[in-house]
Amino acid sequence: MKRSYLGVIALCTTLLLNIVFMQLAVHQYFYENYAATLIYTVLNIMLFPLAVIIYKREKNKGGSQSDEKRNVS
Amino acid sequence: MANHNDQRPFKEDNYTHNINRNDERMLDRRGFMKTMAGAAGVFAVASLPWGAVAAKELMGLSEKEYPHHKIAAIKDIPVGESVKFDYPGDHDSALLIRLSEEKYAAYQNACTHLQCPVFWEKEEKEMICPCHHGKFDAATGAPTAGPPRRPLPEIKVRVKDGAVYAVGVKRYET
Repeated sequence: MKRSYLGVIALCTTLLLNIVFMQLAVHQYFYENYAATLIYTVLNIMLFPLAVIIYKREKNKGGSQSDEKRNVS
Repeated sequence: MANHNDQRPFKEDNYTHNINRNDERMLDRRGFMKTMAGAAGVFAVASLPWGAVAAKELMGLSEKEYPHHKIAAIKDIPVGESVKFDYPGDHDSALLIRLSEEKYAAYQNACTHLQCPVFWEKEEKEMICPCHHGKFDAATGAPTAGPPRRPLPEIKVRVKDGAVYAVGVKRYET
């Protein structure tokens, strides 16, 4: 069975960005750069729909030829 | 149990013969991706309170109102001199320093080390705590020498009608 790891890699990247933005938001809050905190918070929130979109697009990718046919129907 | 699948047609005496219980909870590719999307959702929810408190700070909701208090007339403070006053309460001693013709700085003068009163040393242009020789930068209130590690809490001042007024206290840094 052939597997598509594109979605796995993309979702891992989104989660890494999540961690990075979270860290930056918290740090900028304690450095009293509140506008920067807001920007990172919004970025963090926008990563969630992105992750859901990636999941929906990628969940049926890969597999053998017969598998793909079955998923299309 | 004997293997029913050897017989054609096999004897169907139960409905669970095709379930391999060891593999039931295996994390496959799709399950992993679902977990990752869920984790992104957890992060999105977790960052909400940070955004909320930052927005609250930006809108100035946590700024406290302080009464305006006249410290001294400008003509009574030569450049490089300091004036002692009490702000915001009667027992919160504070120090106003005229750094230059236009520039004033005011701090609550309890040393951030052990609360000794800090005074302004005109010749050395530094604020000095006599207890343990802590020194503070007069322009920023930041500690420059000695045991104190935190800056002095700054008092906001405003010049109005030929006098210097204290209008607020910046939040104490922990």
